[in-house]
Amino acid sequence: MGKSDYLGAFEELVLLAVARLGEDGYGMTLRTEIQERTGRDVSIGSVYSTLERLEAKQLVVSREGDPTPVRGGRARRHFQVAPDGVRALQNSRAASERMWEGLDLGAADRA
Amino acid sequence: MKHPPRLLEALLAASAPAHRRDAMLGDLAEEWTARVERGDGRLATSWWYGRQVVLSVAPNLRDRWRSRGGSRRYTPEGEGWMRMWLQDLGYALRATRRNPGFALAAIVTLSLGIGANTLVFSAVDGIVLNPFDFPQPDRLVGVGTAFPRAGVSLSFVEHMSPAEYQDIARESRTLTHVVAWDMGNRQIATDEVAENLFTGFWWGNAFPTLGVEPHMGRGFSDEEIANGERVLVVSHSVWQTTFGEDPALVGKTLAVNGNPYTVVGVMPPGTSLYGMDLWMPMAVGPEVFPRERRQFQILARVAEGSSLAEVNAELEGLARRTEQEYGREHEEYVGWSMEAQTWNAINTGLLSGIAWIVTLAAAFLLLMVCTNVASLVLARLSGRQQELAVRRALGAGGGRLSSLLLTESMLLALLGGLAGIALANAGVDALSRILATLALPIPGGVEVNARVLTYNVGVSLAAGLLLGLLPAWSAGRTGVQTALRGDTPSATASRGRLRTQRVFVGVQVALAVVLLTAGGLLVRSGLSIQRMDLGYQPENLLTMRLTLPWEEYQGEAIAGFFQSLDEEIESIPGVVSASATTQLPPRVFSWVAWGMPGATDGADAQLPGSYLTQSLEDYFDTMAMTLRQGRLFDSSDEFGGPVVAVVNEVFADRYFPGGEPIGQTIRLGGMGGEGPDMRIVGVVSASRNRGPERPAQPEVFVSAVQGSGTNNQLFLAIRTDGDPRAVLPAIRERVRLLDSDQPVYAIATMEETMARSMAARSAATRALVIFAVFALILAAVGIYGVVAYSVGARTREIGLRVALGADGGSVRSLMIRQALLPVAAGLALGVAGAVGASQVLRVFLVGIGPQDPATFGGVSGLLLVVALSAAWLPARRAAGLDPVEALRGE
Repeated sequence: MGKSDYLGAFEELVLLAVARLGEDGYGMTLRTEIQERTGRDVSIGSVYSTLERLEAKQLVVSREGDPTPVRGGRARRHFQVAPDGVRALQNSRAASERMWEGLDLGAADRA
Repeated sequence: MKHPPRLLEALLAASAPAHRRDAMLGDLAEEWTARVERGDGRLATSWWYGRQVVLSVAPNLRDRWRSRGGSRRYTPEGEGWMRMWLQDLGYALRATRRNPGFALAAIVTLSLGIGANTLVFSAVDGIVLNPFDFPQPDRLVGVGTAFPRAGVSLSFVEHMSPAEYQDIARESRTLTHVVAWDMGNRQIATDEVAENLFTGFWWGNAFPTLGVEPHMGRGFSDEEIANGERVLVVSHSVWQTTFGEDPALVGKTLAVNGNPYTVVGVMPPGTSLYGMDLWMPMAVGPEVFPRERRQFQILARVAEGSSLAEVNAELEGLARRTEQEYGREHEEYVGWSMEAQTWNAINTGLLSGIAWIVTLAAAFLLLMVCTNVASLVLARLSGRQQELAVRRALGAGGGRLSSLLLTESMLLALLGGLAGIALANAGVDALSRILATLALPIPGGVEVNARVLTYNVGVSLAAGLLLGLLPAWSAGRTGVQTALRGDTPSATASRGRLRTQRVFVGVQVALAVVLLTAGGLLVRSGLSIQRMDLGYQPENLLTMRLTLPWEEYQGEAIAGFFQSLDEEIESIPGVVSASATTQLPPRVFSWVAWGMPGATDGADAQLPGSYLTQSLEDYFDTMAMTLRQGRLFDSSDEFGGPVVAVVNEVFADRYFPGGEPIGQTIRLGGMGGEGPDMRIVGVVSASRNRGPERPAQPEVFVSAVQGSGTNNQLFLAIRTDGDPRAVLPAIRERVRLLDSDQPVYAIATMEETMARSMAARSAATRALVIFAVFALILAAVGIYGVVAYSVGARTREIGLRVALGADGGSVRSLMIRQALLPVAAGLALGVAGAVGASQVLRVFLVGIGPQDPATFGGVSGLLLVVALSAAWLPARRAAGLDPVEALRGE
């Protein structure tokens, strides 16, 4: 696993959101997905910053969507997980599970 | 309201990087609408929107900063700068390869400028900044003394008495490892050769003070010092040359002046203290010397936690206590002072002035080189307007273009710096040879070391920045449409460039004037030193030293030996005259205070003082000094008889102005204790006895025959009627006949000695002249360039003028007039700068004032002639333009 494959905590959240939303992933939906699932009101700026970093690492790909009136005629930018992104998520999960294995921190809710 | 508040949107748009601005604003607009439709309320939704805007500022600005160029959508964190820079470097390399002529010219010019700076710094580093290899050099100090009452200014050599050393060693809390030494000569006998070595006699073990470990063996123990035992330490170079790196030298016994000494240690290389090759404990303790016997010097380390200022405060207190206690008995203590300075400062004080002047001159030269190359870059830039405009149109921001151009300049400068290292490396060899002749009190290794390389890189980067800033700045402002239209060079662009180039020419002329003036002043000073009437004749004069061991020669026997030797030497064919003397020009050193018997001095007055030289009868003939009044020594001046003195004119004029010195009696005293009374019998012409650059100082001569034999170490001065070195073998032979154990040493002709004492000055003068000539060439190239460019850019206009009836002469004079405008401005600026520079040089000027009219006039004239010649060629081309061709040209 090269250095660029390493995922930061927030990167992992964003990448998971992209993976969850599939075709429907763009700035607004990704932001709300993270907010709903984690309770964190993350800023749109940091979401884009992270998305672009993931794109530079070739973990996601983006494409321009169609402009809509509700967006003031501005186009959406859709994001989808690239094959490297899938691998990065799998690696990250495996690493995380190996770290948790046999570890009991008591009554922590791991739902 | 169907959309988010405009103000908040504008704020977000302002912080957002262009490439994500739309998507981001769209997303928030979409969510804003969704929230309002869901019934969140406009106020709450606007609040939420505002929060989004604020929280997005930081990530937005960060990403904007990283991807300023804008040609890339994003540059990954950490790697961004590097990757972008590598890309710029790639462009730069390609641009350099595309235009090798330009690159070569720029790199060669830069390499000369940077190389000169690197070489100068290697000298400054080796001679002034880091002359010794001792660790923590800022804590290694010597202590000097000044006795204003006796007319003795601050000195660090042979200036301190054993009692003063003991006071410091005993009472100082801020100094540790205080050691003292005296210097002299000892002969060591190996096989058949008797070798004379410059020797230090120590109280204390110098190794811990210097902070070095012996190369082999050990330093002196306390016991050996206390008992004055016969042990010795030899220098690394003597161990190498005389003893062939004998690994078993430590423990062996050597004959020193005929006595057996045991070698206990070998100094590490570079442990040069005044070139002493032999160390041994002082045979007696400090307590046996009188308080005023000042022929020792001390070294010490500033204690941990103390500063040099604290050391000096403590020494000041000590000096005042000594004055209270001994001031009545020893008058010289009235108002005396002690001062600690670092060993570096003590030994490089004289040279550092010269070194900084040359460093400054080199920096000026580099500035010129930078303006020169900057005009090249600028010229090339105007040919690249279209390329840059295309890059810009394709999305490269102004910042990105600037960084690209800056990278190109940096690349050129670093390549120039690299070539400069090669040049400096070659120069270091030549420099080392010059240094070897200087007989500096330092090991004096000049080399291209890590510090020099760091300096080189620093200078290169500074040069790259300097010559890149202007093009980078102008690229940031290039209008896309203007340049893309393709009418290059557009009239406005070329006018702007011409203006910049004119400013460059002005700056170059100013810098050249400063360098030429500085070089000119030094050259004129050197010439006036050569023409100087020294008061003696340095030609055909051979000098050497001879030291008679105390063990064999005392009292009258010493003068007797030298008298016989002089007679022997004068019988050698080719020798005109010979004399022994305790000191001689260009540098006498023994200073005494004296008084008139019966006269009372005012308590504040400075005691009269003079250099005191003991010599034999023929000394004045040998040096070719002239008798002005009275008589010289003769055979009636015998040992034990009434002591007579001959004084020089400076002495007579200073102390007997308008009076009659002959027949007056003076008494040596003050610094040297109560000396004998002596009657003045003659006045001789003054010789420049403290070097050709300084006026002659008062000097009293006493016959060595009448001296009580306190000087066993004398110089021989031998005047010949041909090559002085030719008589050397015969002289050695005569010395051997008298005493086969005594070698002569420190052999040099007076002209060699003079050249050596001038070597630092000559080297600096040579450097400045080379810099100045280079500067003149650069200025000429600059002037030529600006006129040539102006002719090119104004071809059409000139054609029009000619077509309308202007003749060649008027076109030519128009072009030259315009060229001379920046030259004149630069000249005025340069003369003002040169006036400042001449003040810095002041102490090095001899025989001329700092505003020497010949130098200033000559430099201005030379510059005008060069400027006119440089402008003439392109101006003539303009005058010869065919109007039809010129007007059709575009």
